[in-house]
Amino acid sequence: MVGGLKRKHSDLEEDEKWDWGPAGLRSYQQALLRISLDKVQRGLGPRAPSLRRHVLIHNTLQQLQAALCLAPAPALPPEPLFLGEEDFSLSATIGSILRELETSMDETESPPDPVAPVGPQDEVLSQSDPVFLEALSSRYLGDSGLDDFFLDIDTSAVEKEPALAPPAPPHNLFCAPGSWEWNELDHIMEIILGS
Amino acid sequence: MPSHRMPSEADIISTVEFNHTGELLATGDKGGRVVIFQREPESKNAPHSQGEYDVYSTFQSHEPEFDYLKSLEIEEKINKIKWLPQQNAAHSLLSTNDKTIKLWKITERDKRPEGYNLKDEEGKLKDLSTVTSLQVPVLKPMDLMVEVSPRRVFANGHTYHINSISVNSDCETYMSADDLRINLWHLAITDRSFNIVDIKPANMEDLTEVITASEFHPHHCNLFVYSSSKGSLRLCDMRAAALCDKHSKLFEEPEDPSNRSFFSEIISSVSDVKFSHSGRYMLTRDYLTVKVWDLNMEARPIETYQVHDYLRSKLCSLYENDCIFDKFECAWNGSDSVIMTGAYNNFFRMFDRNTKRDVTLEASRESSKPRAVLKPRRVCVGGKRRRDDISVDSLDFTKKILHTAWHPAENIIAIAATNNLYIFQDKVNSEMH
Repeated sequence: MVGGLKRKHSDLEEDEKWDWGPAGLRSYQQALLRISLDKVQRGLGPRAPSLRRHVLIHNTLQQLQAALCLAPAPALPPEPLFLGEEDFSLSATIGSILRELETSMDETESPPDPVAPVGPQDEVLSQSDPVFLEALSSRYLGDSGLDDFFLDIDTSAVEKEPALAPPAPPHNLFCAPGSWEWNELDHIMEIILGS
Repeated sequence: MPSHRMPSEADIISTVEFNHTGELLATGDKGGRVVIFQREPESKNAPHSQGEYDVYSTFQSHEPEFDYLKSLEIEEKINKIKWLPQQNAAHSLLSTNDKTIKLWKITERDKRPEGYNLKDEEGKLKDLSTVTSLQVPVLKPMDLMVEVSPRRVFANGHTYHINSISVNSDCETYMSADDLRINLWHLAITDRSFNIVDIKPANMEDLTEVITASEFHPHHCNLFVYSSSKGSLRLCDMRAAALCDKHSKLFEEPEDPSNRSFFSEIISSVSDVKFSHSGRYMLTRDYLTVKVWDLNMEARPIETYQVHDYLRSKLCSLYENDCIFDKFECAWNGSDSVIMTGAYNNFFRMFDRNTKRDVTLEASRESSKPRAVLKPRRVCVGGKRRRDDISVDSLDFTKKILHTAWHPAENIIAIAATNNLYIFQDKVNSEMH
């Protein structure tokens, strides 16, 4: 956690080494999205986490979502951000989810409703991981009755093709040393996909 | 007062505060303890000891608790300490964790009564048949004893985490601010408080901004300011309405489009706000800068100082390792001419508002032997590197100076560096720690 600057981030060395072409920008944004989702997941401990931090991450996620949706799709798919071993891997799944997010926006005429998405996918998400949502709501929303602080992140694209969900791939496939807790990513995927 | 053992989480200092005369200095830590230091009077035998701060009293202010309704632990960590103006021989301070504010009274006892007629020296009742004559009890000198007693507990006023407390200049009320609300309390009444700011939206989905710090004006008891995670300051006048949801003045700097990034909002989030002693200015700290605002100018700060601009290219990593959410505080000197704030690598920065000179100093055991002179440090960003310069890539981000305090009248500063408290003063050859 702290002192993380000494870690090597193959995908996040921002010191002028970043390729700011459309594909590079896209994978940078995706990397930020990955970090942000990771933070949302890690924020769930026995103590109420900082609301300031949560709101700032949430706003960043909103911006990222808008950027990922508005930016034109690159001619070629971006470099695989998550280095899975095969198509079946989590990395490919996340990559396709992110691409799905883009294409779904292309199909949509109006910008996404800033309020929480309505419809069946919302229910799927709410039901799929009650722990996640309950934890959030119990921390901040005690007197507000809100159940889905983070549901305004549009996940509609994700639910479009439930077939994308891998049946819990074995964890040892994803042991990228030192850069990513694949188990957590796996868990986030479960949350997102409602599997 | 560096400690030589391995720091435990509970030992990490979480707040530092001088009292109004500067004679006392209080620290709070993550373990819920408050340590009070007292400045020793000058001694003829040891002239260098003048101004040294020694431990005066230590007490456990808060204990860990559990919220059974929400299944959440409530940390004992002391978020803030504020001294009350001294009214009599006793000193008083407020300390708060995330939820509960406590008023403590600190008194000295250096005499004890002796010669009671009905009690013996241990306080037991005497056998009345042995009492043959009456005597007048007398006060006999004894070793100084400092007693700390809890006077009031202000609980159940906050749903969210308390980030600030501030005693009003009327000396009768104080405020406490959490992420979404600010409450006004009377110092003598614990069972009710008045909500003076509430930014909680009806629907928490719409929440995009939180209160990050708040303070009363030093002279006008009706004015207070609060800062937000979007980088703005709101000055409120309690005379305008009971609920100050509508600010009197909004201080906000337009965003520089050339510096826009995904982190713009996070780095503009104000982590601390302090009125100047004169009451004319406000000092704010955000992630990369400190700014001085004139109460008469809302459009932009009158001064902006870069604290560690070399981190601008590292924001993504600092986001990933959570450092970008660190809440650095800031402080004025007694004459409002110099400002101070912390940074990483145990560095802290000072900015002279008149000469526009700035300096980076280091609080470390190696560089601050007793009475040693602090050497300015320099962080180099590529290019030519002088001897003693430190490169951006070798900065230690686990050593951060979040909390600092400046003596109200003299050039004495207190720096909290993880579990160590450093006290420096500007007299040549009398630096100490």
